[in-house]
Amino acid sequence: MKVSFNELQGIGRKAFIGIGFAEGDAIDAAEMVAWMEAHGLGGVEALKKGLRFLLAEDHSESPTLVYQDEDFSVLDAHNHSILGNASLAVELGYARARGRGLSVTKIRHCHNRILIIGYLSRLARRGMNVTAFWRNAHDPLTELVVGFKAGHPVPEICLYSLENTPDDTEKNDGITLIMANHVDLLPSLRSEYELTNLMRQTEEDLERQRDRALVEGMDVDDELWHNLKSLADRLLVEATDASRSGAGAGTSDND
Amino acid sequence: MATPLDAQPELQLRPANQVMNLVRLGSLHASRLSFCRSLVRQMAREDWTVTTARFDLDVDGHGVVIYRLNTPHHIYHGVVFSQHLDPERRSDRVIAEAWDVTFALVEGEVEDSLLEQMAANVPLQEAGRQHPRLLVLSRANKSLRNFAHFVDALADGKQPDPAWLTKVGYLYRTTAVYGNGKFGIADYARLQNNPDFNRPFSAQMFAVYLLRHFSVQQVEHLARNRSPERAVGLHPALQRYLGIGNSTGLGMAPFLINHPQLIQQWVYCRERALAYARQQVPDDASRRELLALLKRARQHFAETVTEDAEQTRRNEATVVSIDAVIGWLERTPATSTLWNDLLGWAEGQCSLEAQELINTLLIELYPELIDSVEDELGCEEILELQPEMRAATLKQDIETRFAWALEYDPKNPDHQHWFWYRSAEKEEPRLGVRALEPGSEKEMPLAIGPRIHRTHQLLDAFLDRSPRGSVVEFLMAHPRQKECVRRIQTMAATPYGEIQANLWHRDMKPMHLLRTKLSFFGASRFDPKSDRWVRVTMFQGAPLFCELFSDHGTDKARLAELDDWSFPVEPELNLS
Repeated sequence: MKVSFNELQGIGRKAFIGIGFAEGDAIDAAEMVAWMEAHGLGGVEALKKGLRFLLAEDHSESPTLVYQDEDFSVLDAHNHSILGNASLAVELGYARARGRGLSVTKIRHCHNRILIIGYLSRLARRGMNVTAFWRNAHDPLTELVVGFKAGHPVPEICLYSLENTPDDTEKNDGITLIMANHVDLLPSLRSEYELTNLMRQTEEDLERQRDRALVEGMDVDDELWHNLKSLADRLLVEATDASRSGAGAGTSDND
Repeated sequence: MATPLDAQPELQLRPANQVMNLVRLGSLHASRLSFCRSLVRQMAREDWTVTTARFDLDVDGHGVVIYRLNTPHHIYHGVVFSQHLDPERRSDRVIAEAWDVTFALVEGEVEDSLLEQMAANVPLQEAGRQHPRLLVLSRANKSLRNFAHFVDALADGKQPDPAWLTKVGYLYRTTAVYGNGKFGIADYARLQNNPDFNRPFSAQMFAVYLLRHFSVQQVEHLARNRSPERAVGLHPALQRYLGIGNSTGLGMAPFLINHPQLIQQWVYCRERALAYARQQVPDDASRRELLALLKRARQHFAETVTEDAEQTRRNEATVVSIDAVIGWLERTPATSTLWNDLLGWAEGQCSLEAQELINTLLIELYPELIDSVEDELGCEEILELQPEMRAATLKQDIETRFAWALEYDPKNPDHQHWFWYRSAEKEEPRLGVRALEPGSEKEMPLAIGPRIHRTHQLLDAFLDRSPRGSVVEFLMAHPRQKECVRRIQTMAATPYGEIQANLWHRDMKPMHLLRTKLSFFGASRFDPKSDRWVRVTMFQGAPLFCELFSDHGTDKARLAELDDWSFPVEPELNLS
């Protein structure tokens, strides 16, 4: 079915609260999904893949700080979706960059990582240059680099595969964020490794996608929509005779 | 973009604790900055034209009518579906499933395929899937008594009695007017670069105005069908005096609370306009102009009929106050401090409704600069965190900018008497008594005051442990406070976004919230059906489509004449 941006954001917000998110997290998560979908970056598909995990997560568990100094923070997200509780980790990096000019933040053990792009857009609008980097453990290995220029609402994105990489036993389930107050950190395709450019999306590409989504609406499959609606319905209070009078409407409108 | 008002030196704005008091907000009136007035000015200034593209109504007035709107920039169509409705299905509540008319405003042409899709979905409203080229989706029910009286009179070759419209000022009342992506229609973001409808709610207001036109055409059609030989058209003065009703309830409240930045813009624009007007040096002509406006408003309120005892008392108090204001103004010469003297005097002598009426009418006197702020009524809405801020600064901001919220007492049951929730019945917003009714664990978080109070308490404890801690550190310890904190940080920079009331409090009157929003829309004739349900009239007195012509805004005198329709009074028909 076709849905509007506001509709997707609205149902997402209610569904996430229905799942147990705090209000602020629900607002952010819904915005991340809708933002990604509107820009052609697969927000709905990512949510569909992650919804089963989200339902099983403990939403009261926040990322914990593993290490920090003035410029560098490492947080453990406890294998949770980035939708649930990662925004404060990102905000910590933002606060450090504001204070020190540049910060590096690593969020370990998280999934649904692609959706973080929707939140980083907020930081860029606040005037921060942001680069996010992570690897996906596909075969071949892929790297994704997202770069927001300060003040720009959309990023440039590079996704490429690496044919030859050294052995690495670390699991690829983290994100590295670099933020700088005053210098651009845009992705640039240079590497000593052999790489294949799988995808490169410019700001213009993403803005075109958004304009099209606003005109044509966005596709959401019926099953996901039904699931979100059921989750949102958890916020509704069963009607009783007493509650019907709680709306305060008149008794007859046939006058 | 800077407007001429920005260039005015040091406007003396009223303090937020006065302006954002809920009882005062609940005393506001439609003003020249209200969305109805603003839209009509725009239509007249730009010579918008509406033609009937299709008029397929049967002898009972049921069928399809399509109107074509041409603006200088685009083409739109209004599509109205009219059907028979059994009386037992007629309800103004959101839980209704059928209506007398359903309608939509469409961007661009209405091809056969689109019309077919609309015919299958628009009459279903929320239960349908709407097309993304629809800008507005709405429905309305008949005022049965007025409708029958109007058709009977016109079919009999007579004009309906104007007193009927004074009592109930419309043939149809809308029960919801949806925009911004609801049920698949276009997002508001799509209109943000469209000069026709980029102001808040302007597309919705146009759809309502179009329904008014339809209502006239429909009763004339029914009268002609009933009595082709004798039927007459509706007198132009009555067409003007005819508005469109709106029936609304608690659904207004979540919008006001969930859009604080927009509310800030609406109130800020109005307050700047008022501050500018107060600053002008009156002369005898402006004093007499204000007197004339007061006399018309007096008649409007004296004529206004409502069965609600409290609103009747308020209307009567307003009339008494206006009499006193007129007396004061007639005996006071136009000195340079006249306006401030008047407002100072009124504060001690007049009801809140009358005080706000004077403010509303003062704004009428200086249209040239005041109208320029109407392009600032919208804004980008995003609440932003400032994670680097010291937690101590946040606490200080709460104490200085949100002192009203700290009056909440969590130990006092009266302070948490109500809870707001959505019912499983079509998500209708309702109000429940916390101690008596189930569902408070699912309440909507609309009571901002108690939430700020809670944040303040947690900050206090956090600062004991971490006196130099930052906001993000506070939030990592209390992540559920994120939304409240970014709201505080964002809104602390503005004076007027937050309604300064505890929406849980036993003494809180939901009607004030409804009236706040409706006054910005441009509603009049407040007719409460309970303490949380109200019928109002919109566009009563507004010029008709056929009158909207000002030679593209160059005929200033005509524009001013077309714009002068606030506080309409019962017309005297010259039937000779």
